[in-house]
Amino acid sequence: MRQIKKTFMGMLLIFCMLMIPVQAAASDGTSYVYDGYIYDYWENVKESPAAFMLEQTISQETMGDIALSSVDDVCTSEDGRIFVVDSVESRLNVLDASGGFLTSIKLIRDADNKIVIDENGQQVMLTSPEGCFVHEKNQEIYIADTGAERIVVLDLNDYSLKRIIGRPEDFTGVSEFKPSKIAVDEADRIFAVVQSSYEGILELTSDGSFSGYYGVNKPRVSLVDYFWKSIASDEQKEQLAKTYAPSFNNVAVDGEGFIMAVTYDSSADDMVFRLNSKGENVLREEGNIPVMGDVISMHESDEKSQFVDIAVTDYGTYACLDKSKGRIFLYNFDGELLNVFGSIGNLKGELKEPTSIAWQGNRLIVGDKTLKCVYILGPTDFGEAVLEGNESYYFGRWDEALVSFERAVELNSNYDVAYSGIGKNYLMKDEYEKAMYYFERGNNRSFYSKAYNGFRSESMEEHFAIIMGVFAVLIGLLIFTEVRYHKKGGRQR
Amino acid sequence: MKQFEKIHYLKYSIFHPFDAFYEIRFRGKGSGVLAACMIVLYGILACVDYQYTGFVMNDHAINSMNSISIFLSSSLAFVLFIVSNWSVTTLLNGKGNLAGILTVTGYSLVPLLIATAIKVFISNFIIEEEIMILQVIMGISIVWFLFMMIAGLCVIHEYTFGKNLISIFLTFVAAAVILFLGILFFTLIEQMVSFFVSVGEEFFRRL
Repeated sequence: MRQIKKTFMGMLLIFCMLMIPVQAAASDGTSYVYDGYIYDYWENVKESPAAFMLEQTISQETMGDIALSSVDDVCTSEDGRIFVVDSVESRLNVLDASGGFLTSIKLIRDADNKIVIDENGQQVMLTSPEGCFVHEKNQEIYIADTGAERIVVLDLNDYSLKRIIGRPEDFTGVSEFKPSKIAVDEADRIFAVVQSSYEGILELTSDGSFSGYYGVNKPRVSLVDYFWKSIASDEQKEQLAKTYAPSFNNVAVDGEGFIMAVTYDSSADDMVFRLNSKGENVLREEGNIPVMGDVISMHESDEKSQFVDIAVTDYGTYACLDKSKGRIFLYNFDGELLNVFGSIGNLKGELKEPTSIAWQGNRLIVGDKTLKCVYILGPTDFGEAVLEGNESYYFGRWDEALVSFERAVELNSNYDVAYSGIGKNYLMKDEYEKAMYYFERGNNRSFYSKAYNGFRSESMEEHFAIIMGVFAVLIGLLIFTEVRYHKKGGRQR
Repeated sequence: MKQFEKIHYLKYSIFHPFDAFYEIRFRGKGSGVLAACMIVLYGILACVDYQYTGFVMNDHAINSMNSISIFLSSSLAFVLFIVSNWSVTTLLNGKGNLAGILTVTGYSLVPLLIATAIKVFISNFIIEEEIMILQVIMGISIVWFLFMMIAGLCVIHEYTFGKNLISIFLTFVAAAVILFLGILFFTLIEQMVSFFVSVGEEFFRRL
């Protein structure tokens, strides 16, 4: 009876709560603020202010007559323009920095504003493109025209055709030439991701000829599989399911010209890649927890984070977009987790099927395929402090970094990264004792050790006389007792 | 004076375990109280180790430390070992009694205690590259502890080396059985208590 009463009361309570209008706006009434969190040294979830808040939503309403049926990729130019790839309408929509509609590209025109005709006499038209990339150096925008199996390069300013890169003559491998996501590095090499290709990232030279597959994505091999493989005969081995290398799912270029990639293949060993020229992963993972999104502990049956896109700032801070829980993970160039926010849902600011993320200065642009909208996220006070701190630290401006990290600690006193950031800046200025204090709060043992090393040699130098004195006395005592012992021994003998 | 002799034999057992444990076994030179003190000391030192090891080496969440559980889990492990070893060796023709096993276990802990104390102290003055030195010290002390333990049990039970190893293996099996029974007992008691409590509650509600 009591149980039924309880359930009834509970239902009544939920009903009452549903009647209260949910307020998605922040206290200042302008925007939706996310709930953020972070992991501490012992992998416990610690609440934290979110680094970003929703500033603006771009959806069908703001697009005017142009239909927006899907958002597959977003990219930004340095002057703040936002490019939105729509694979259903086969359009590349161009928006200004504040999300106002500028133009939409479907038919490709040349510099004289004439429609381009290809060798078959067909108009060159985008066919379900899935990716784009802005190459500032050459003022070009690359569009991965997936359906037409080509890469279209447009001028960044008047959107006229520069060139079309089709399937290379000398293309090898079993992958189809269906570039889905694309990135171009400082040497004009083109890196294209073909979804579900196990051969790696497609690398093309700037003139469009095939130069090879790039990147090593190691599969995770379980011990049980290893055991069975080791005792299986050759015929049995052929029967066993082959372990293929997991595919890469997205690429980006960081400020130093390294290719960064992500994968959401569950069989992959790493989630985030920073590939060197040999294609090995050289991602820095100096943080207290690994770069893998949500930390999965043994007793949790939660699914792993699945990164669909990565966006890198020129100071190495990167944001990874998780499609399984709709979360955005911010990491700095050392691989320290800065902040996590966002969720799957129907409220304003929440995501359904996130596909893409890009930086626009200190703002984040996030695209969602199912909701058919693009969010412009601006940093909160906390986020601004964190980003500025990391930027200043990256460029070696210790004093500015110190101020920013101190502001971050003021806003979130449980924030390990800021404490160790303060510590690092004191360490750079050789203020060891202060550095040690902050590294202890930031749970940064390796840097604490470095600071302590400096502190120890400093205090050793300071008290050199005393230490040597004690040492000399000890040695003297040792010699004295030895001598006395042998004298005694001699007498006894 | 007698107490001094006991402490002397404690020191003797560290460097000459076979001889010392022989004296302890056959001439009553050991002290169960002293051995029990060592086990208690080990529990205390485990807490100290948890809290006061230097920051560079200390991965523990000190703000959520539970000293009682650390003390009990580290010292009761040895009590469990002693009880299960005694119960196994009585079946396997071992000559040692409970006090003897307690003495051997307690005395064997001494190198471990000393090394832990040294480690806790020095770890406050080291950097990451020097952690290895302390790990070597701890490793040596563990080997020493095991050696004393095996030597002591051999002497106490008048076992050959092989039979001693078998008895130690069976000791762990017995310990697992004891733990299982203990957990079973406590869960059943808990259910019983909650049953009586709810009966009582019901009774007073209807009164």
